[in-house]
Amino acid sequence: MANIFNFFKSFLLLELLKGMAVTGKHLFSHKITVEYPEEKTPQSFRFRGLHAQRRYASGEERCIGCKLCEAVCPAMAIKIEVAERGDGSRRTTQYDIDLTKCIFCGFCEESCPVDAIVETRVFEYHGEKRGDLYYTKPMLLAVGDKHEAQIAKDRAADAKYR
Amino acid sequence: MINIEIDGKRIETENGSTVIEAAHQAGISIPHFCYHKKLSIAASCRMCLVQVEKAPKPLPACATPVTEGMKVFTHSEQAVKAQKGVMEFLLVNHPLDCPICDQGGECMLQDMSVGYGGGASRYHEEKRTVLAKDIGPLVSAEEMSRCINCTRCVRFGQEVAGQMELGQAFRGEHAEIMSFVSGTVDSELSGNMIDLCPVGALTSKPFRYKARSWELSRRRSVSAHDSLGSGLAVHTKNNHVLRVTPIENEEINECWLSDKDRFACEGLNSPERLTKPMIKQDGKWQEVEWQTALEYAANGLRHIASGAGAEQIGALATANSTLEELYLLQKLMRGLGSDNVDFRLRQADFSADGKQQGAPWLGMPIADISRLDSVLIVGSFLRKDHPLFASRIRQAVKKGAQANIIHSVDDDLLMKVANKAIVAPDALVTALSQVAQALDAEKNGKAQTASAEAVAIAKSLSGGGCVAVLLGNFAQQHPQAAQLQALAQQIAAATNGKFGFLGEAANSVGGYLAQATPGSKGMNAAAMLAAPRKAYVLLNVEAELDTANPQQALAAMQAADMVIAMSAYRHHATNYADVLLPIAPYTETSGTFVSAEGRVQSFKGAVKPLGEARPAWKVLRVLGNLLKLSGFDQDTSEAVRDEAIGGMDIAAQLSNASQATDQPAIPTPQSSGMQRVSDVPIYATDAVVRRSAPLQATADAAVPRVWMHGSELQKLGVKDGDMVRVVQGLGGVTLAVAADDKLPQGVVRVANGHAATAVLGAMFGTISVERA
Repeated sequence: MANIFNFFKSFLLLELLKGMAVTGKHLFSHKITVEYPEEKTPQSFRFRGLHAQRRYASGEERCIGCKLCEAVCPAMAIKIEVAERGDGSRRTTQYDIDLTKCIFCGFCEESCPVDAIVETRVFEYHGEKRGDLYYTKPMLLAVGDKHEAQIAKDRAADAKYR
Repeated sequence: MINIEIDGKRIETENGSTVIEAAHQAGISIPHFCYHKKLSIAASCRMCLVQVEKAPKPLPACATPVTEGMKVFTHSEQAVKAQKGVMEFLLVNHPLDCPICDQGGECMLQDMSVGYGGGASRYHEEKRTVLAKDIGPLVSAEEMSRCINCTRCVRFGQEVAGQMELGQAFRGEHAEIMSFVSGTVDSELSGNMIDLCPVGALTSKPFRYKARSWELSRRRSVSAHDSLGSGLAVHTKNNHVLRVTPIENEEINECWLSDKDRFACEGLNSPERLTKPMIKQDGKWQEVEWQTALEYAANGLRHIASGAGAEQIGALATANSTLEELYLLQKLMRGLGSDNVDFRLRQADFSADGKQQGAPWLGMPIADISRLDSVLIVGSFLRKDHPLFASRIRQAVKKGAQANIIHSVDDDLLMKVANKAIVAPDALVTALSQVAQALDAEKNGKAQTASAEAVAIAKSLSGGGCVAVLLGNFAQQHPQAAQLQALAQQIAAATNGKFGFLGEAANSVGGYLAQATPGSKGMNAAAMLAAPRKAYVLLNVEAELDTANPQQALAAMQAADMVIAMSAYRHHATNYADVLLPIAPYTETSGTFVSAEGRVQSFKGAVKPLGEARPAWKVLRVLGNLLKLSGFDQDTSEAVRDEAIGGMDIAAQLSNASQATDQPAIPTPQSSGMQRVSDVPIYATDAVVRRSAPLQATADAAVPRVWMHGSELQKLGVKDGDMVRVVQGLGGVTLAVAADDKLPQGVVRVANGHAATAVLGAMFGTISVERA
């Protein structure tokens, strides 16, 4: 009985038609593929991409060198040196993030008491040689300066959940 | 004994103790800020409120004495509510910016607030601001808004340091801690205020913003700067020593540390550090490899030993070198056939050598000083030479002990001094012999012929109880040191007391145990410099700063054919040495110090040696190998130590008894010209201290002045502050003069060990002063 059933199933190409039906369905349905880089997926305001250091509107850097991010970083990707600046305030003399070590967990921005270190929506960056992804303080500040508008908008959106 | 109950736990405690003491004894913690076991009770912070049965309101545990059957609850609803309330009040005016505070991570307020406070602040009004103060180069009072007015620093000054340099001015909300009329805090124990401050109001100035507490590794070490042997916790980061804090030990340093021990570490990374071996060729210094430098040194020594004779080689070391270094140095010298090795560079009288029954030491455990009933301190700049011994004696005096002083200067010891005899240096022996005489007269019921002070001192010492005669650095460096020692021995015997030496440096006892002293045919430090040798091996020595007679030492060095200087620093030796070998200071080498009480304390290096510097014991070992001497194949410093003192009964090796003549001859004071009295300033005692920038910025490190009695100034026709020229032998220096009417007549006090006075001659002896 089973033999006869299988004979008809293969003779009438039933499986093939079934498969073609699936193909046919997808041929006319709505596409979800994103045509990167022309198109991009939507991002959450909590997206954790490239790091940035922020400044206040006055141009003063936010970071006070408390070293909480360095302490919390599970990948030990952050290195900070602190000294007293001429005006007596506590400032970093070195603030480096090794992005090849970073696991983008976001603990650094979560621990920051002054919202100085943040992770931006930028994920398209690369390095061409060893050391290119070792971000120093001027590099991080430059990222912050470039994307400050977006960063500020994202922090504002997230504020009510914090 | 009283029985009380804390949190349901039955505790038996001493009558008169407080609830907080009973709780700590039972291992129950009660939050507190102003309470400190070594300070008086202030009960000002109210953090230790606990519920006591039958008491209507919560009581402060620090100020509540225990009573029989008392029931205390530290975690009851009432207690917790009270503690939470107090915490909220404390935080009302305390800035909530822990991220920028240097105390963050090691702050009592932070910890207590997490443990006992609320989650968020309800206070939104303005906080009070207290202006920053400048109280000197060691303690930072930049953040006085953080102060919670616990007054620990004030009480420390009053009770332990003996000097109230900080006080609380104004009242209520305006109360603030300040120094008297913007003065600085100059106490030699001021650094302890940093440890005591429970918040970030008083912090370490040199350490400011350098590191967070959680980044530091702590390594155990032992202080290399005085004879107490304080336990140090050396905090390091990235192979750098960043700060030093005390390790608590009731028997040694309690919970304190002198500023010298605490801030000397700033000198470890001085730009003057020597990081490569150097050889002088054709008058020019050249950096060379270790192999070259060591072979050069070994060849030089071999050449002189075979040519001029081994007795033409002399070895000098400072008493803050480790036991291992001193042992290998003497082994090297004796291997070469020379017996000229010494570490007692500031000593002038060596007549006790060979008659001494053991290594001179404190004569008792350090802790026993606290239990003394009467003490005679002979020739000691106590506060500056031994800050923590002074503090111990100060505590004993507070409890009723009598301190008696025989000395050539009358510096304020910040304690009640029962009797004192201030005499010129050449009359010191006479003054002490008068005490012995007075004691003898008292014992045998004879009529007193001694001076009134001597009789008073004798009376104080013969009162029974625990009695001690302590000889300070000045007495040990005195040209009649052996007589002083014999007299002290006599007085101690007559009063049934103890006598001993406070000890000049970290290894003043260890040097004897390592046999770094000349034998019967060798020359001591003074003889080696008086009769210049052809070659010198210097260990840690800066000839013009570490010796009794800088003039003579420098001349001897310059006349020598070969000087091998083992030093951590590039210093004046560049003028006279031929080889400079960079060695590691105490944080970079393992070693052993034997403290004044004979406690053998070994330590490991806290960090790696800087540059190409190497531990001196390794350098000496290789030198021994290159000279083909036997017994130089130790692999570790422990092996060297075990060879030096392993299996030795240390206690049996310590003895102050001298077989000198029983009745020492008392020289009559000769009054020819002015006599020099010299101290070694507190921050000029050793190479590391001399290079610590914060210590050198203190008032104690100022350029030495010439101190004389006011009437002597009048005779010279100069005023306080004028410049005068002091001349000793061939050298003279122009310094500011100052009047000290407490000095005896005919005495000029000029410090030794300071670069400004390095051209002068012997620490004791005649000196002339003329108008500049």
